Amino acid sequence: MVERILKTRGIFWMWCALLLIPIGIGLYSALQVFTKGLVVTNLSDLAPWGLWIVVDLSCIALSAGAFSLSALAHLFGRDNFKPIARVAVFVGLLGYTGAMMCLLLDIGRPERFWHGWVFWQTHSMLWEVTMCITLYFSVLLLEVFPMIVELPLFNRFKWLQNLGHRIHRFAPILAIMGMGLSLLHQSSLGGTYGVVAGRASLYRATMPLLFIVSAVAAGMAFTVQMTLIVQWLKRRVLVPRDVLFQVGQVAGAILFVYLYMRFWDSTAGAYGYVPGRSESDLLLTTGTFGLTFWGWEIILGGIVAGTFLIMARRRNSIGMLLMGSGLTMAGIIANRWNTTMLAFTQPLSTEPVLTNPASVRYLPSLVEWGTALGIVAGLTLAFSLGMRFLPAYKGHTPTPVASSGD
Amino acid sequence: MTEMNTKTGEQPTYLRRMHRREFVKLLSALGLGLVAEQLLEDTFMAHDAPIAQASTGDTKGPYWGMVIDLETCIGCHRCVYACQATNDTASEHLWNILIEDQATFAKPVFVTRPCMHCEHAPCVDVCPVRATYHREDGLVAMDYDRCIGCRYCMVACPYGVRVFNWQENVEPNPQPEAWGSPEVPRRPRGVVEKCTFCSHRLDAAAERGLRPGYDRAATPACCVICPVQARQFGDLRDPNSPASLALKGRQAIVLRANLGTKPRVFYLLPR
Repeated sequence: MVERILKTRGIFWMWCALLLIPIGIGLYSALQVFTKGLVVTNLSDLAPWGLWIVVDLSCIALSAGAFSLSALAHLFGRDNFKPIARVAVFVGLLGYTGAMMCLLLDIGRPERFWHGWVFWQTHSMLWEVTMCITLYFSVLLLEVFPMIVELPLFNRFKWLQNLGHRIHRFAPILAIMGMGLSLLHQSSLGGTYGVVAGRASLYRATMPLLFIVSAVAAGMAFTVQMTLIVQWLKRRVLVPRDVLFQVGQVAGAILFVYLYMRFWDSTAGAYGYVPGRSESDLLLTTGTFGLTFWGWEIILGGIVAGTFLIMARRRNSIGMLLMGSGLTMAGIIANRWNTTMLAFTQPLSTEPVLTNPASVRYLPSLVEWGTALGIVAGLTLAFSLGMRFLPAYKGHTPTPVASSGD
Repeated sequence: MTEMNTKTGEQPTYLRRMHRREFVKLLSALGLGLVAEQLLEDTFMAHDAPIAQASTGDTKGPYWGMVIDLETCIGCHRCVYACQATNDTASEHLWNILIEDQATFAKPVFVTRPCMHCEHAPCVDVCPVRATYHREDGLVAMDYDRCIGCRYCMVACPYGVRVFNWQENVEPNPQPEAWGSPEVPRRPRGVVEKCTFCSHRLDAAAERGLRPGYDRAATPACCVICPVQARQFGDLRDPNSPASLALKGRQAIVLRANLGTKPRVFYLLPR
């Protein structure tokens, strides 16, 4: 029996089994965090946020395809985007799951995660983010629910499937809610940093805009990337080829808009002196962050990625599309890393005295890497299972004749 | 999952207009949700301040302030030790930080840094659960039972005075008895803490008829222990309080005044 399964579906199940190793590492690391406390991390009073926040921010940014593509498909009349919006919604659900797992690890009292819903602090950006993310997570659940209950497993529970159909009727309403909530929290995640007046590198009004524009570009590109990988592995078509190219072009264009904004945001400090800000801009563009900023975030993850995304359609090159979307993903992670790390690397001076305190160093500990690895592996496993078994992602066998475009 | 039933040519069901009954149902569900939220809120925080509490710690009563003289401070660390002993902080957790500053003035000075108890405290604004808040007398306090340990307040504090309980504090207090004995319970693992201006002493003072700033039992431990009277505490609205008198005729600064936080800790510049 087992042999037969391995023979017919061997590679898929071996892949799942392989993923169990990093998931195990992640569970072990998480156990360390929950039993011993955050002392097992390399975080400190001077660098209180680290790798988990970077993973959290990246997960949410890469999930932005869910709301943007759903909005395009259901609200702005791009009916041909519906298949890719379906993939995006599943990616989004997993992304937000990962983000919430990160936050649960990161807070010192995980058993009090619900306090935000009960003890409102409407002045806090983080409160707004908490409310929006949990509400949006339930929107995503409602969007994915009809696809889950279509599994043959649920054939016995007709009422669940009927409920699924009823919920699916509300797809445009869910798209509106999703867009509203995402427009709020994708930006206010940037705002969470942007309002911190005490840290010069963070305190800028551009932060919410930079976060949402980059998230939309990266979220769309990431959805394209995931679709391409799934299609290649399944040898089936989930999303028509020209839709993928179109979404790639939209993502590329938005990426260039973002790069333009980011360029001025990061270099304006060099034109005249703003206390703290000019130092942080210098640190970002020429200091220890020079390589990750220029190389990883701006050139590879920005200019090259955007060019590939836009050029892929004209060249009719899936390889180029895959490269472009992959680099965009790398770029957004670099951006969230640079933003977070820069904030804590820049020493907190308390002028007019102690203007030159020692700088802070932070590199994630093994336990932090372990949990991050486990979360990514867990999401990959869930994604693999979903793409394999959910009827909505069955796809069809490719035909040699190109299907008609838009 | 097809959007259009191709066989019968029916419209997708969501394009059908919503019936009035359904709309009413939706509305009542929303309303019930709001009521439930309000009930939860009332249950957990009947004693609490209104939701949209402004971030200002401005008050009508006494305006507690601390004045630290950079001229007379000799950097003996006693305020650091007394603070640790009184508030029972873990060995690496200092609520009161001492740093020698050799660059700013003609001579080296020692800068000790407690919580500034800002009138516009960034930490109060950013806390997502109102675990850090302004007391009625304007001091910035922590509710350790509510804090979720997200550490956003530590990101937001411009003075870096907040410390996090990275692990359970089980070690004995590192300070010998001579510097004082614990007067407040230890905080659990996973919450943020910081200097309280020894608010437990201020609160007890009101009951016992003592005057903060004058009576030792009603004044923050760091001010009481100072051998050279470099730290004075008192009501800055009272012109004769020790803190007000210390400010008289001296040039005083606050840290990072450009942020507009309005700290309650003032530093007297060296002459």
